[in-house]
Order: sequence, then C-alpha cells, then structure tokens
Amino acid sequence: MNHRKSQVSSVKYMLAGGSVVAALGLMVDPRGFLPTTATGKDICQVVVQPEATLTRQELSRLLTVQERSDKAQIRRIAQNPYCKLPDIQIRSGVTAQREAYPLAFDSQTWLVVLYEGNEYAGYAFSFRH
Amino acid sequence: MPGMRLVSVISYLLAPALLGLGACSKAPAPPPLEVRLYQKWELQPGDEIAGRAVLGGLGDISIDLEGNAVYAPFAGRTQLDTRQCVIFSSPDVPAYLFRLCGLNQPRLGELKQGEAIGSGNLLYFAALRKQPNGTWAVVEPAKAILERTLTKS
Repeated sequence: MNHRKSQVSSVKYMLAGGSVVAALGLMVDPRGFLPTTATGKDICQVVVQPEATLTRQELSRLLTVQERSDKAQIRRIAQNPYCKLPDIQIRSGVTAQREAYPLAFDSQTWLVVLYEGNEYAGYAFSFRH
Repeated sequence: MPGMRLVSVISYLLAPALLGLGACSKAPAPPPLEVRLYQKWELQPGDEIAGRAVLGGLGDISIDLEGNAVYAPFAGRTQLDTRQCVIFSSPDVPAYLFRLCGLNQPRLGELKQGEAIGSGNLLYFAALRKQPNGTWAVVEPAKAILERTLTKS
C-alpha cells in the first residue's frame, strides 16, 4: 500500500515539475539562442542549378576577384549558381542581380554575389540556410 | 518509484537553469564601426563645425520623419559608427551599406526585414558602395530602397 502511495505522489511531482518546465519553455524564445536565424523574405526567386556548390578552392579563387571586375571572371570560377534572388534597386538607375552559392563544405552558409549588369559589385556570406 | 522521483527532481533543477539562460542572452555593445569613405570630404554627419553639430553632408538624403520610425529594408544588422550614426548591413545585399543619421535610441543588432530600426525627426540617409580598396563610396540611392526603409515591409 505504502509503495503504491509513493508511486502516485511521485507521478504528481513529475507532472508538476514537467508542467513548470513546459510553461518556462513557452516563455523562452529559442531563436534568441541561435546565432542567426533571421529569415528574410529575400530567399531564392528561381533555383538555377540545384546541385551547385562552391568548393574551398573555388571560394578562395572567387575571393581574389576585385570588385568592379567583369561578371565573366566570376563565372569562369563558379558556373551557374544554386539560385537567383529577386532583383533589387539600391543605386539610382541601376538594377542589381543577386546569385547564391552554398558552400560545399558548409551547406548552411551561402555566398551571395551581387552584379550590376555585367559588373561584379561584391559578395557577402549568409549564415542561415 | 525512485526513477520517477529523480525525473521530478531534475525538472525542478532545470527550471532555474532555463531562467538563467534567458538572462544571459544580452550581449555587450560592440565597438563602433569605422567606415572609411572613398570621398575625402572634410565634414560628415556627426562632426562639429564652430561648435555646431553637422547633421548631414554631401550625399545624404534628408527626410522629414516627424517622429516616425524607419524599418530594416532587408534582414540584416545595425551597428553604430564612430559618429553615432546607424550602419545597416545585410548578407542579402552584398557590396552595400546604408548609413542612417539622426535616429533616437536606435535598435542595434540583428533585425528581421520590416523591424523598426528607430525613429527621429530628421533622417539623413546615405547609400555606401564598396570599393575595391576597401573604402565605401557615397552613391545616389534608388527611390525603391528609401521607400523600403520608410515603410514597414
């Protein structure tokens, strides 16, 4: 009998403890603990080459290309991108095109390249994919 | 059952640990960002001339905000520069930075697209484009980027 009573009370404790943890879990926003999970609306507009990635070697060669170089210089190192992002207008009278390449050795990280017409303007690393 | 009691004891122990995690998520303010301009202009927003503050310089678009907010045009990050202006950068927009001067108590750190950066009476907005030598050229911003910054998207 005693044994059964203690079993019931430990279930009660477990339920009480569990609901405290669950209630706290609801109050905590786990996104705050992760490095960058901000998902913008500027994800891919068109997937061009689903298998496209950048190897370490391609990435290091790509980073040596100077801003203002011809787009063809980037294309010689990295062929078709994984996807195109929507075109944007930042500078007056110029429409910018953006293309993304996941890294072969770290698929969560993308290299985003911005072109203005045939001119390569620059790159950025995007860490949230 | 001792096992069940152990579970409840663990959940009691976990509760303060979870609370502690929440309290530690605020990071200290990062050092101001040094943005070297391509143009060699003597006066820029945040400087002083004859004891007066310079609010805007060449290349800044001045907007009458009337206390309204400005919003992150993309998912990105805000930091202060050495002149206390906000520098907005986004991994979705390589090769460009946006400088916003005149905001009161701006929000610093990671922002989602459309989140408020801050508000103020007069906004001085500049678009900066990366140069091959690592400096940033002040360029004429497109209307579209200003509209994206002034309205919640």
